[in-house]
Amino acid sequence: MNESLISPFNFSHPTAVQTSLFALGSFARFDPSGRFVGVGRFDGLATIWDLETKAAVRWLDGHVKAVTSLDWSRHSRYVLTSSKDWNVIVWDLASVCDPPQRHATIRCDAPVSSASFHPRNSQIILALLTTGEVYLIDLRKNHRSRTELYEPEGDEDGIEGQSTRRYTMTVARFDTSGKYVFIGTSGGYILVFNSRTKTMIARHRIAGGAGSIKGLDFAKNGRRLVTNSSDRTLRQFIVPNYPRSSDTAVESFIEEELEPTHRFNDPINKTAWHAVSYSPDGEWLAGGAADAANHKIYIWDISNDGQFASTLDGGREPLAHLHWHPSKASIASTTNQGNILIWHSPNAERWGAFAGGFEEVDENVEYEEREDEFDIEDEAEILRRKKEAEQDDVDIDTIDGETVNPLLHSAINGVNGVNGGSDNGGVGGGALDEDMKWADEDADDDIGTWKMQILMEDDENQM
Amino acid sequence: MDQSSAEINDHEMQDGTQNDAGNNSIQGPPNAASPTPVKTPQKPEQKLTFSPKYMLSGHMKPVSSLKFSPDGKTLASCGADKLIKFWDAYTGEILRTLEGHEEGISDIAWSFDGDFLASVSDDKSVRIWDFALGTQVRLLLGHTSFVFCVNYNPNSNLLVTGGFDETVRVWDVGRGKTLKVLPAHSDPVTSVAFNHDGTLIVSCAMDGLIRMWDTDSGQCLKTLVDDDNPICSHVKFSPNSRFVLVSTQDSTIRLWNYHSSRCVKTYVGHTNRTYCIPACFSNTKDKYVVSGSEDHKVYVWNLQTCQIMQVLEGHRDTTLAIDTHPTKDIIASAAMEKDLTIRLWFGEQSAMAEEPGPH
Repeated sequence: MNESLISPFNFSHPTAVQTSLFALGSFARFDPSGRFVGVGRFDGLATIWDLETKAAVRWLDGHVKAVTSLDWSRHSRYVLTSSKDWNVIVWDLASVCDPPQRHATIRCDAPVSSASFHPRNSQIILALLTTGEVYLIDLRKNHRSRTELYEPEGDEDGIEGQSTRRYTMTVARFDTSGKYVFIGTSGGYILVFNSRTKTMIARHRIAGGAGSIKGLDFAKNGRRLVTNSSDRTLRQFIVPNYPRSSDTAVESFIEEELEPTHRFNDPINKTAWHAVSYSPDGEWLAGGAADAANHKIYIWDISNDGQFASTLDGGREPLAHLHWHPSKASIASTTNQGNILIWHSPNAERWGAFAGGFEEVDENVEYEEREDEFDIEDEAEILRRKKEAEQDDVDIDTIDGETVNPLLHSAINGVNGVNGGSDNGGVGGGALDEDMKWADEDADDDIGTWKMQILMEDDENQM
Repeated sequence: MDQSSAEINDHEMQDGTQNDAGNNSIQGPPNAASPTPVKTPQKPEQKLTFSPKYMLSGHMKPVSSLKFSPDGKTLASCGADKLIKFWDAYTGEILRTLEGHEEGISDIAWSFDGDFLASVSDDKSVRIWDFALGTQVRLLLGHTSFVFCVNYNPNSNLLVTGGFDETVRVWDVGRGKTLKVLPAHSDPVTSVAFNHDGTLIVSCAMDGLIRMWDTDSGQCLKTLVDDDNPICSHVKFSPNSRFVLVSTQDSTIRLWNYHSSRCVKTYVGHTNRTYCIPACFSNTKDKYVVSGSEDHKVYVWNLQTCQIMQVLEGHRDTTLAIDTHPTKDIIASAAMEKDLTIRLWFGEQSAMAEEPGPH
């Protein structure tokens, strides 16, 4: 809503630190509305911070060991935390108590290194264990299951069959539509599973080899994906189109090498990357450098053929994690001391805004006086003209498209990702395919109208 | 508690024709109750007519503000008698009286869920009350003079206040701390509000300026000023936040498109030269604008044509406080010293809809 008044310029990348949150966190993730950040801590606590007030508003106290990941449901009602204590917990932020009510607790067979919600239904959860196994956990009444996603033995391919040891899985993510699960392995492969049938549909070797894959991020439209691997290079790929799940034979999968469109690295210091994140429009890519002495974020301009754009310097505390805001030019980066830096793109104060009817110009303009500019007009005439200008009907209810609230916005983006994103085009015309229908069955109660209650901290009551 | 002092005069107003709004259908003489001096009501389409339903008395001094709760069930009122009173919006019964302020209260605002009510007073304090418990949960101190206006943001984690110290303050509700002090105006701030997504704040003051602020950075983004620079007494965003409705003390209400800095509608006919009288939008199918007036009446304009739809008569003093119901055609109004009552006016459509499910 305020954008149209602030700046005529388009979206850019953040340039300066706006706030530092003393959160003792090991990572921080924005929620889909961009109002909150969820912070995971080493002591097993997860905290929810309100960025409007820059204060912690909820304390999720349930894990006994370090929190390894945190994910938000699409309207931010549910929060998923995974921990080294072998548990995955779903929290319901709509509950009025603090700590919020646990919605579900899932016990796994090993420490959990990451967990995420299905983008369309928060009752479907993807969990990666430190042992290198990935489980798809379905909490819905009619689908209740826990399925391991495993790579079939490669014997049908003969040649590779013997040599392909099953590598451990090092990263697991849903794509933006939720139809597929993308898994990176220690051998530099990307495995793609159908999340409904739980079968592998594709195995991609990264061209040239990449070493163990450490991280994976999708652009919001789902068409591009970036990997972070142990050879200190970030690679961007175009996500291939996969045939519809019903069209393929059960046991077959695509074996294909993926050629990156861009490679991003630091040619001088050869630093590794701790984290990588796309901007909401997919035009910028931020990489968090694993520099031991500095807090550095590298920004590349994807729309400009991946050219390096700038380095953000966040001071002395080395970077541990970063995440780009879902709709703004803002980044949350975490230092290894546990502080969360919120980056923004500051707007210069326009002092001209304080004077009514005053307009700032960037350069001198020769002013040409209109012929009738200082003529004395008939007051009745002025009044009549004013009246005329007020004839048009005004619309005080419709909220125009560009200024829809962020919640609505993310929902729209989700739909775009479905229809135009990683799909093979068979879905066009708005019809949902069976993978979508499957995910939408037993929908969760995470609806857009939900709002978090404000808790009054009693201990600070000055009464 | 002086609950007893608040008694209801159940729908017994001066006109006998309107004995019970529920029983007589829309057929009655459309304007018998309030013969409006302005001749516009001859429109062929179905017309909305307001008639008095309840008269609530209880306040000992002028009522300064009236606010319907977000669910529409409760009406909150506050006044110079330092009290906040809650009334059942459908029956007019008194529900509760809150006391705590040391001076008269100027404005109140509900949180989005209706759980909390914020009040501002001449004792320089802002207080937040728990509606269910009827207790004060927060005392926010910081203003250096009378606090005059207050509003919550849509998430209700922020509160914005303005006052005679010429500043606008943004508060963190959860922690009870000042987040920002905006040196907003050079005269008392008479009204502040957030837009529908909370990213903008609008303020207006006796210096005649209307300013838009960025909530996040606190920067001034725009200033609107009318040619004649009249004192601005109230400002409010339209439901979609594309316009602001501004009441000025030249007896005019203007609807501004703040992007183009143009006035798109002007509502005149009422009298407003001295007091800060608010104007409200309807929230129902019929689009209208409502305001109080210093000629003791309440004016209802058609939003688009700017014609007066109806003039509600009955109050015996300046109608200083006004609010419209969030979902139904109900107007609440209250007047100053010589009257001290709150009146609830029910639009005919709403009277029909209200009857099947009384609360």
